[in-house]
Amino acid sequence: MVAVMEGGEPVVIPNSEGGRLTPSVVAISKTGERLVGQVAKRQAVTNPENTIFSIKRFMGRKFSDPIVEKDTKLVPYKLSAAPNGDLRVHMGDRAYSPAEISAMILQKLKADAEAYLGDKVVDAVITVPAYFNDSQRQATKDAGTIAGLNVLRIINEPTAASLAYGMDKNKDETIAVYDLGGGTFDISILQLGEGVFEVKSTNGDTHLGGDDFDQRVIDWLADEFKRENGIDLRQDRMALQRLKEAAEKAKVELSSTMSTEINLPFITADATGPKHLTITLTRSKLEQLTGELIERTIGPVRQALSDAGVTAEQVDEVILVGGQTRMPAVQEAVKKPFVKEPHKGVNPDEVVAIGAAIQAGVLKGEVRDVLLLDVTPLSLGIETLGGVFTKLIERNTTIPTSKSQIFSTAADSQPSVEIHVLQGERPMASENKTLGRFILDGIPPAPRGLPQVEVTFDIDANGILNVSAKDKATGKEQRITIQASSGLSKEEIDKMVREAEVHAADDQRKKEEAEARNMGDTAAYQAEKTLRDLDGKYPAELKSEIEGKIAAVRSALQGTDAEGIRGATDELNQSMQKLGQHVYSQPGGETPPEGEQPGGPQGGKGPDEGSVEGEFREV
Amino acid sequence: MDRQDEESQADRYLSYWQRAEADLANLRRRNEQERAELARFANVTLIGKVLPVLDDFERALAAIPEEVGSSGWVEGVRIIEKKLKGILESEGVTPIEALGREFDPHAHQAVMQDDGDGDSDVVVEEYQKGYKLHDRVIRPTMVKVGRGNPASDKKRKEK
Repeated sequence: MVAVMEGGEPVVIPNSEGGRLTPSVVAISKTGERLVGQVAKRQAVTNPENTIFSIKRFMGRKFSDPIVEKDTKLVPYKLSAAPNGDLRVHMGDRAYSPAEISAMILQKLKADAEAYLGDKVVDAVITVPAYFNDSQRQATKDAGTIAGLNVLRIINEPTAASLAYGMDKNKDETIAVYDLGGGTFDISILQLGEGVFEVKSTNGDTHLGGDDFDQRVIDWLADEFKRENGIDLRQDRMALQRLKEAAEKAKVELSSTMSTEINLPFITADATGPKHLTITLTRSKLEQLTGELIERTIGPVRQALSDAGVTAEQVDEVILVGGQTRMPAVQEAVKKPFVKEPHKGVNPDEVVAIGAAIQAGVLKGEVRDVLLLDVTPLSLGIETLGGVFTKLIERNTTIPTSKSQIFSTAADSQPSVEIHVLQGERPMASENKTLGRFILDGIPPAPRGLPQVEVTFDIDANGILNVSAKDKATGKEQRITIQASSGLSKEEIDKMVREAEVHAADDQRKKEEAEARNMGDTAAYQAEKTLRDLDGKYPAELKSEIEGKIAAVRSALQGTDAEGIRGATDELNQSMQKLGQHVYSQPGGETPPEGEQPGGPQGGKGPDEGSVEGEFREV
Repeated sequence: MDRQDEESQADRYLSYWQRAEADLANLRRRNEQERAELARFANVTLIGKVLPVLDDFERALAAIPEEVGSSGWVEGVRIIEKKLKGILESEGVTPIEALGREFDPHAHQAVMQDDGDGDSDVVVEEYQKGYKLHDRVIRPTMVKVGRGNPASDKKRKEK
């Protein structure tokens, strides 16, 4: 798995097939093509002697190593000794060192990372098990070098996991890392002292992992089926495959539900016809089936503690690594001896890679924490037509930041606009906190909605807010500076956010009413203008129809019935459309933009919307 | 701080800024790519969950008891299967042709080798259909691959 620091955050990089995990398998196909990863795994059965897996077991070992002697029987590929006694692995017609094989995998990871990032990858941090000796570590480093990487450091997997949880920032303490992955179990006890991690002890079981848990479920399914139907599904390759997939899926589901159904129709057939497997697996049954496996991890844990010279209670932090640790029963089993909640917030499948990325970032001097960036805790904006609060900067925006928006006047010949700067989350300006006000005057006479006033909110890294308003026609500008501290305190902020949630429905209604009002008002204004401009170009009945509709809107605006206003506005818009069709007498002609604008899009930030109490509107 | 310190601090600030700009540019570019990718493959997880249902339909229809072979009911189930296939097809899902083809680990998953004399490296049996979504293999075909023997290999090469 590969991860990189981006913008101060660790990110896992997918491989070229889109997966986040690349199987450590390398092969030379019969056509001489080198295959790495999932692709290599898929042809393993047809090419066992030239498909290399589990190379990690052989890194840094000599041929005469007893582990090699043992494992050589378990792998279909050939192992031999180089003249100096080093181990050689045969693939195709050549013999390779384990480091060279690892390098092939690293090369693929490197190439995929480069493709994804769009940039060359040169430096890398590579993780190894804590129990790796010097020669194993050197072999890993060599693998990196052969792959064209500059290996900045080899770090221990449990150390990487600790870094992922930011433990290096803690005071001196003892950390236990419980790593239960797909095939192996590792427990490490680390001592953190002045920012440096020391491995006090390691232990584990190299043949215990999530795969064994799956196997228990598979066996149970097959046994249950045999009991009911007298057929052993394990004999049928395809049925076995389906059982395997179903078992894995069920196991994962039971980490978040109490029971799950396994449905495998037409799993097999006999003389009496097709047979189906349908069965329910409960979490407690799963725990029964796998309890013994979890028990098997406790022994090594006790041993590791004893070797490290600490008791379980003395361990300050416990970290979970590996997908299988998602299982509630595993988490419970870990919690018991240590008497504390294990850390599991970071994805257990990815935590080691993430920690390695963090280490790489530190080594490369990506000292991001020198430049701690703040966020603005509450939204900032101005008051617009109808008393509505129009946000310019959303809350939790990282600062420094700058945002501009164009606003306009609400009345004809309006000579000035008032900028009322507010902070808060409520849709209505009056419910938010005033930060300041100022006026921009000298706006030349113009119909409402025509002038363009650019309002800019600018927050610098210290949280100081500068608000400016500039008339684009005259270039005249006014501004105001608001200190960072003049907003709300933390308690007030929290209260504000809560209240916004509580009053959301109410506020929404008020806002919609204001918007309906604005739209109605604009529609009436525009309609009147259009009638004047196009006088004589349309029949008189239409004129009186429209005038009637305008009057209806204006009278609705006297009241507070938003629905009524909207209804009257729609009526008016429909009549205006007729007018448009008249004037543009082409078939299917478009209605003139002026007639349509007011009836424009609903709610939100439609054109021609608000204007401030000081007659200021958003365009 | 003396002049030199100030200059080196300024240099540091510049390089952080450059780094930040570069990060942002890269993030934007990748964001675009990911967004396009996501749009094309938005349903891949759902499709992956539905494929086993299609498999089950095929199994069911492959095991029709003789006595109901031509019944309307069976016909109805056939139509349902066809409908499901149609929906997947319209989403860009295509079955992988494997039988008789040369074994290709990019699209096939070998689960067994032939004991007989099936042509070597040719798919002799499909256990589970494989599928592509657009141009990406979302599930490889599970196959049995011929082990081959010298005689039939030679014959094949001579063809």
